[in-house]
Amino acid sequence: MDSYALEMLDITKRFPGVLALDNVTFRVKPGTVHALMGENGAGKSTLMKCLFGIYKEDAGTILLQGKETHFHGSADALEAGVSMIHQELSNVPERSVADNIWLGREPKNKFGLLDHKKMLQDTANLLRRVEMDVDPRQRMGGLSISKQQACEIAKAVSYDAKVVVMDEPTSSLTDNEVEHLFKIIRNLRSQNVAVIYISHKMEEIFQIADMVSVMRDGQMVGTYGVDELTNDKLISLMVGRDSTQRFPEVESRIGDVCLKVEHLSAMNPRSFQDVSFELHKGEILGVGGLVGAQRTELVEAIFGIRGIAVGRIEINGKNFSKLTPKLAIDNGLGMITEDRRGSGIFPLLNITNNTAMASLGEYRNKLKMLRHKEIEVECRRYNEALRTKTPTMETLIQNLSGGNQQKVIISRWLMTVPDILIMDEPTRGIDVGAKLEIYTIMANLVKEGKAILMVSSEMPELIGMSHRVMVLCEGKMTGILDSGDITQENIMRLATQFS
Amino acid sequence: MARNNTEKNDVLSTWASMRKLASKYTTWVTFVLLILLLSILTKGAALRWQSIRNLLIQESVRAFAALGVGMIIITKGIDLSIGYVVCLCSSIAASFAQNPNYSSAIYSGHSFPLFVPILAGIVAGGLFGLFNGWLVAYGKLPPFIATLGSMSIAKGLQLIYTKAAVVGSLNQNYKNISQGSVGPLPNLIIYVIIAAIIVWVLLNHTRQGTNFYAIGGNPQAARVSGINVERDLMLVYTYAGLLYGVAGVLLSSRLGLANSLTANGMELDAIAAVTVGGVSQSGGVGTVGGMMIGVFTMGLINYGMTFLAIDSYYQQLVKGFIIIVAVFFDMKKYARRA
Repeated sequence: MDSYALEMLDITKRFPGVLALDNVTFRVKPGTVHALMGENGAGKSTLMKCLFGIYKEDAGTILLQGKETHFHGSADALEAGVSMIHQELSNVPERSVADNIWLGREPKNKFGLLDHKKMLQDTANLLRRVEMDVDPRQRMGGLSISKQQACEIAKAVSYDAKVVVMDEPTSSLTDNEVEHLFKIIRNLRSQNVAVIYISHKMEEIFQIADMVSVMRDGQMVGTYGVDELTNDKLISLMVGRDSTQRFPEVESRIGDVCLKVEHLSAMNPRSFQDVSFELHKGEILGVGGLVGAQRTELVEAIFGIRGIAVGRIEINGKNFSKLTPKLAIDNGLGMITEDRRGSGIFPLLNITNNTAMASLGEYRNKLKMLRHKEIEVECRRYNEALRTKTPTMETLIQNLSGGNQQKVIISRWLMTVPDILIMDEPTRGIDVGAKLEIYTIMANLVKEGKAILMVSSEMPELIGMSHRVMVLCEGKMTGILDSGDITQENIMRLATQFS
Repeated sequence: MARNNTEKNDVLSTWASMRKLASKYTTWVTFVLLILLLSILTKGAALRWQSIRNLLIQESVRAFAALGVGMIIITKGIDLSIGYVVCLCSSIAASFAQNPNYSSAIYSGHSFPLFVPILAGIVAGGLFGLFNGWLVAYGKLPPFIATLGSMSIAKGLQLIYTKAAVVGSLNQNYKNISQGSVGPLPNLIIYVIIAAIIVWVLLNHTRQGTNFYAIGGNPQAARVSGINVERDLMLVYTYAGLLYGVAGVLLSSRLGLANSLTANGMELDAIAAVTVGGVSQSGGVGTVGGMMIGVFTMGLINYGMTFLAIDSYYQQLVKGFIIIVAVFFDMKKYARRA
């Protein structure tokens, strides 16, 4: 019983400016369900990415059944019996269940053609092993999410799985489907498979896990038997730390309400529902919650990027039931999106153009021609004020560091002279020094009377910068914490209310 | 040791900056090298004003198509309908410019003032562009498919309109539009210069033009920045359509006729030319200067090979290779850094 299915020993991984994994040791026994817990950014996914060879660890060894291993991607790992069941499914929806399971290693007959009969038979056997009732000829895309997931597990089993990693597997399942998934997991356990179970949902952990390992700030806090733990103890293990990051003093006068959201619901019933709040001038309102809490969806709807089913948005006293980004900008909103590469930068344009893009309309002469001189002067002024480090204003933005790209994007929005700035993960992927600079910029903005709505997954940031914190859990607002009540424990409690 | 290193770095950085410069001006360098090569091979004969003038006239109509599709490719789109849209426009325009006493004229017995054929051709192009733009922007069709469909529609309309006959016997006033010249400069060249300046102003000095680059570079970010992506996409195809309309008018005016073979294959020539001119298929990159250089580079290659009496079969071959090489380097240059 002393042998481990998987051992990750002294794994260290460093990103520019961040120590993502600090000497992490993680051991999993066969025939156990081992939960891996931690806040967003604690290092769980980085650790798993090192396991699958998506990241190369800087130091440390990985042993699979006692033998040193290095995988080069998930296909490679799958061959060795280590598989990952993702939050997002990665199958080919237009092909059958059998095709999907045997993709790339289809059985052939003696003529070298596909042996459909064997394929269907093997699939049927396999599905029986995971107690799945699905026709192998069924089109994958036509199955429910939970059945598709089960098919992925079946696929893992077909590779003689030794370790199966499940990353938030229940995030889109109903209660009944969760029950079925747990049955499959227990089944795997009885076949001596090690299951690494990553989830934020406390209740599930106590239901299914045998062992729990907790990570925090890139370090392994410890590994416990599930019977040694309680809900509260687990939370305190996950958050229990003093904030090491420093934040500037946020001194501002809280003024009148400038943004009022009432009973806002998304088109998609699984997204945010019935959210109401008020944002005041000179205030930073933090928005906290776990992955999947629908925070980004909410703020993008307020900016008009996503549609709204019902509800009302009031900006500076004006009412809107339908918004577009253009309308939002014209009414004093600005939006720094979460995905800087995907919806922030124009990679092949220079700093000036990237900065000016949202306010070109304000810089035209009578003939509707752009006033290039003035645009250049203004872009330079904003970027200098934020201390964007760039060789020239003509440098392509893709050649700057993440922190400097972010400053260019903040400049873009400051140039529109907004009253309200929505910042979705304002310091994601930015090194520590630049983070502090961004915090200082934010503090100065609210001092000038602007309001900031800040979505953040980083607990210290949320606590250090916000006047109040609104917490979402599974699309519902579970509370707004006033400055005195903003603690990690309170936020975590509200963020996990429904789990 | 340390000094040695810095020297090495200096050399490396000079080399790197030279390469950077070269890659920035590839199209121009290629163009100049081609001219030099040609003048050496023909001992200067190819570069007489008369020859250059012919080359310019030859390529001018294509330049309009290139300006149009160049803008479209900047928004990360494509247009396959160019050839047949130009063909349709040239036929429509020509039908209003036929001699009234010509018995097979489409509007036999009628004579129209000069502005009618010009306007008809340009409006037809604009409408087709609007149609393409609507399909791409609001119909959400991939540009390749949308314009593949409209290409066939344009061809069909042309055949129906002309009953597959040649639209000939055009009046002299109409032919004079393109056949005259102002001093040493042929009219056609003047038109190209005017169109290039208009497109240049649009792309460089208006919000609209900047939006095109933004949409091609990152449509999501463009939307977040308050750009009406759908409207702008529809407009870019419409502008291109208007340019194709002008090309159609000028082509029938220059040839003195229009038929179903007019401008066939022009889409590929135009796309190839702007690609050679540095307009990237990955969107968001390209200049008017580059587009024009691209057109004349392709023209120069054709013309040079003809001048050197190289079999036209080989010309086709060489052209194909040049397009592939141009796109190959383009893809390397702008390949997303993974």
